[in-house]
Amino acid sequence: MAFLATFLIRRLAQGVLIVLIVSFAIFTALRLVPGDPARLILGPMASDAVVEQTAREMGLRDPIPVQYVHWLGQVLQGNLGTSFIKAKSGGEAAGGRDTSALGDKATVVALLEQSLPMTLQLAALALVFAFLISVPIGIVAGMNSGGWFDRFAVYLGSAFVSIPNFWLAIVLALVVTAELQWIPSIGYQGFSYTILPAFVIAIEMSPIFMRSLTSSIASAKQRNFVALADVRGLSKRRIFLRHILRNAAVPVLNIFGVQIGAMLGGVLIVEYIFNYPGIGLLTVQAVLERDFPVIQGVALISACIFVVINILVDLISTKIDPRLDF
Amino acid sequence: MPSDTVATAVAPRVRVRMETPGRRIWRATHRQFEFKLGLFLLVVLVGAALIYPHFTKLSPTRMHIMQRFWPPAFLPGGHWTHLLGTDQLGRDLFLRSLIGLQNALMISVSAVIIMFVVGAIVGLLAGFYGGIIDTVLMRITDAQLAVPVIILAITILTVHRPSPESVTLVLALSGWPGYARVVRSVTLAERQREYVRGAKILGASPIRIMLQMIAPNVLPPIAFVAVLDIARMMIFEAILGFIGIGVQPPTPTFGNIIADGRQYLINAWWISTMPGAFLFLTLLGINLVGSSIERARNQVLEGRI
Amino acid sequence: MLHETAPLLRLEGLSISRPDGSAVLDGIDLTVPADGVLGILGESGAGKTTLAKVMVGWVSDPLRITGGSVRFRGEDLRSSDVQRKVRPRIGFIGADPGNAFDPTLPVGVQIAEKLLAVAPGTDMAEAKKRVIALLDAVRIPSAARRFAEFPGQYSGGMLQRAVIVDALINEPDLLICDNIIQPLDVTVAAQIVRLLKELRARTNAGIVFITTSVPSVAEIADEVAVLAAGRIVERGLPMAIARSPQHAVTQELVARTPRIWTGEPAPEPSTAEVTPILQVSDITKTYSVKDRSRFFGKQNVQAVRGVSFDVFQGDNFGLVGESGCGKSTLSRLLSWVEEPDSGAILFEGKNIAEMTGRERFAMRRGFQLLLQDPYNCLPPHLPVGRTISSSLTIHGVGRKETAERVRAAMAEVGLSPDDLHRLPIGMSAGQRQRVNIARALVLEPKLLILDETLSALDPVEQGRLLNLFERLQAKHGLTYLFISHDLAMVRRVCTRIAVMYLGKMVEIADTGGVFYDPGHPYTKALLSAVPTLDERPYRTEDVLLDGEPPSPIDLPPGCSFTARCPEAMTTCRMKEPALWSRQPGRLAACHVTAPAP
Repeated sequence: MAFLATFLIRRLAQGVLIVLIVSFAIFTALRLVPGDPARLILGPMASDAVVEQTAREMGLRDPIPVQYVHWLGQVLQGNLGTSFIKAKSGGEAAGGRDTSALGDKATVVALLEQSLPMTLQLAALALVFAFLISVPIGIVAGMNSGGWFDRFAVYLGSAFVSIPNFWLAIVLALVVTAELQWIPSIGYQGFSYTILPAFVIAIEMSPIFMRSLTSSIASAKQRNFVALADVRGLSKRRIFLRHILRNAAVPVLNIFGVQIGAMLGGVLIVEYIFNYPGIGLLTVQAVLERDFPVIQGVALISACIFVVINILVDLISTKIDPRLDF
Repeated sequence: MPSDTVATAVAPRVRVRMETPGRRIWRATHRQFEFKLGLFLLVVLVGAALIYPHFTKLSPTRMHIMQRFWPPAFLPGGHWTHLLGTDQLGRDLFLRSLIGLQNALMISVSAVIIMFVVGAIVGLLAGFYGGIIDTVLMRITDAQLAVPVIILAITILTVHRPSPESVTLVLALSGWPGYARVVRSVTLAERQREYVRGAKILGASPIRIMLQMIAPNVLPPIAFVAVLDIARMMIFEAILGFIGIGVQPPTPTFGNIIADGRQYLINAWWISTMPGAFLFLTLLGINLVGSSIERARNQVLEGRI
Repeated sequence: MLHETAPLLRLEGLSISRPDGSAVLDGIDLTVPADGVLGILGESGAGKTTLAKVMVGWVSDPLRITGGSVRFRGEDLRSSDVQRKVRPRIGFIGADPGNAFDPTLPVGVQIAEKLLAVAPGTDMAEAKKRVIALLDAVRIPSAARRFAEFPGQYSGGMLQRAVIVDALINEPDLLICDNIIQPLDVTVAAQIVRLLKELRARTNAGIVFITTSVPSVAEIADEVAVLAAGRIVERGLPMAIARSPQHAVTQELVARTPRIWTGEPAPEPSTAEVTPILQVSDITKTYSVKDRSRFFGKQNVQAVRGVSFDVFQGDNFGLVGESGCGKSTLSRLLSWVEEPDSGAILFEGKNIAEMTGRERFAMRRGFQLLLQDPYNCLPPHLPVGRTISSSLTIHGVGRKETAERVRAAMAEVGLSPDDLHRLPIGMSAGQRQRVNIARALVLEPKLLILDETLSALDPVEQGRLLNLFERLQAKHGLTYLFISHDLAMVRRVCTRIAVMYLGKMVEIADTGGVFYDPGHPYTKALLSAVPTLDERPYRTEDVLLDGEPPSPIDLPPGCSFTARCPEAMTTCRMKEPALWSRQPGRLAACHVTAPAP
């Protein structure tokens, strides 16, 4: 138990550091952007004096580190700020820019609360699809390394990574939704709207899992103790389930942890195309409209997700392979 | 080839055994069918992109109101002068795809070169010296993995007017930490090797050890794999163009062609899909070549060949 | 019982070939009796491992059985049904205990897993009890705790014991031991051979003992077959084979077996000149490693604990010890790649720590180290000429002079001028080591440290290089410091020898002193374990207890050899002995043999 506690403390400390670096980098990048956020909020009709006053009130004229510490203090109290643009009510009314004062805008926390569950649902389904595709193929290819199925997996993997995700999304929306009318997509009116976007993300992710699974199974199979286990009289089934899979799992888990960030990138673009009301759509809109508090909030959340998932991944890895030391 | 034959004739026995890992990887690569297939795709497509625009009278940007929405040549109503059809402004999609390919290759190849060079320098320093450079590098790469690069890229590109140069830099920015990480880890391993210790005992300076001993050993295998990143960067570049923050129209890029065609998807589906298919084939070529090199490299490094 | 009369294992005309048709094994006829030990002797590359594997019906790709038969109690082992049926009756012990178990599961659990698989009907609690009992029987300390430990937490010798337990757990009828002592240190290997001899008496299994070592096969086998290039070339009783080998290969194997107490007299240290070229006084080095069970926890590994010795001009100084004794750390400290935590190293009377950067740089020329691993010690991408000349370039020698000196050095070590442009890839271990020597030699050093330089070479090449070293010494007045685990090699060339155990010198004496009048029980244990056919003055049974060297992280108080020392007294557990001068020039660190104060 002592090990678990020190592990968690150490990893959480590292995680906090990562989150701080990420948020500071994004914060700084956004502050260096030309264009005055106060002007953005108040609209072109407001007088310069009012803009200046609002900017001072919001602390926009302070040095960046001061602003950052201020923002961080608010974050610790659970306040991620208020959107510059989105109104309280119309969370989904894309880009509806109104000129009302700050008080009527939606808080970032509220926006995230709306969209995060949607994105998690999408990501979870995408992972299920990705595993359904990659696990059987990866295992069979790895167990028959060098054989025809292995080659087939290489081709399939190459084909999958070569498909631009946004193009696949367009084609699927055209064919499956518009022409054949099999599965609805574009917008969200029920769970079935998650299927196509999830499928696109799964196609993007599965070659990575497929390859790492293939190679780690192939190399686990090469290990001396596997051949010896056969001589020692263990059944093939047992060798595969208990020894090969176990040894192949750690590299695959690690790849999974590392890919979480990249997967969020895929989610972003796919949500944008399917107009799926998750974090990705929120982000793209926020960026195109320079809605800084929202961008910061999203970056913070995605860094936290990354950190938490990687801690879990490493925890499971150390359970599987006690030699690992994080 | 003739010089090769001479060398073989002079020292036939030694020749095979003297091969460097690089050359062995190259030979193992050649043997694979997927390499040949990928190379074939690349030669045809890139060749077309380099040659065709010089020989056609068509222009990738001039509009022809009379020739709008022509379907591809292989469909009823298509015309052989426009292989992939025309877009909403009557421009030839084949030519626009080729120019798009030129731009995409230009940008992604330079981005990969930049990220490789920067990543190699930082990774070598971090792996060799450790200490503060190493700590900072590891934290930067951690942070970079934690957030979709695309958020940062979009932020930068919405501010600065996107140009080929700025898009290249943004792509390079997204990729260098990955290279730094890999170079660092192999440098760490290489630093422990006996010959590095031997050089230290001889009195060789750290710079000499790094440049003359470590770099020539660790960089080439990584450079091989960089081929795969060209494909990744091409997709990334297309995504930026698609969102509207890549290289700006009228310069054709895969991203903006596909984005433009989206509005006409129902009536003129080929405007988005044909250039996308074109991009897919190019990427497939790169990925087949890249993954066969990677496979060959693993086989050679793991001693299976 | 249909096959009761059939021999336990019988190979008849068995041939195994590679895909290109060349034979690995060629017409092997062997019969393994139901009890007793069949020894199979052969040098590396003779096909020993292929033979061991086929005895359990295991033929690994791309090899194929191309003729003959292999039968266990009359049943054809080529059929996979038979394999499944009879493998539980055969125990297999390989040469690589480090890779015998799945590293992600506890050792005991894996042995129990095997027991459950081959003896259905056993329950887990029962299996666990039997595994712990057997672990205890092969003298793995605190077996119950060890049951739950992972392979990475076992030492090499202990893993080999665990593999033996795994092979014996279901009381097999046949035990195949493929080169099981090769990767182990001599004292540990001696313990394993002793264990096997005991087990032999206790089990009634037939044993096949496959090895390269003539002494160990002579010690354990009832009958020996000699394997050379895939054929059995000679058979006989072990002592007969050792005394009067008939076939050329056997003769060579026997001739290679080192002699310690017969043959040439021990080299004498020169008495004329006694200028120390290298003085080491009381150096220590401790590494700290992360302790994952505590937050910010650190553990200290005491690699070198207060080592002092002098090397005199023109001397051949030997430093021997088994793995983990701190030799490699010491070699890094001596070559000043790492600095000692305390203590001083003086080269030609000057303290290296106090030298200026420039002086140290100049010192590097006079003081060269030849590294252990011929495959890693040369930069793989540079032609060997460049590698050799880089020594001189670094030290600012002009191009023309460099070229001349490189050529001269290459000629001197026996490399042809054609090799100048070759890459290390494709060169033999011996050639690489020559390149390495040339690289050191061009700098005209005064002191050469040879850190296991010859261990990776075959005995013939080893002999050639030793002659080369002798020639170079006569010509250039070199001083050598040999760091090695190979007592026989050190016995042959060194004039003075230091014995190292767990980071300390336990004995320093002239060669005659070490081999004929050892002053430390550990030295005796080493001598008892050297693989030699000589009549030895010590038997392992008398001078070495079972057990492993303690971990350098948690050193017990007192003498660190206590746990394995049959002569240990109460004082030994309390107080660490210092080096005493037993006789002029013979020092040992032992309470038992120390002269009365």
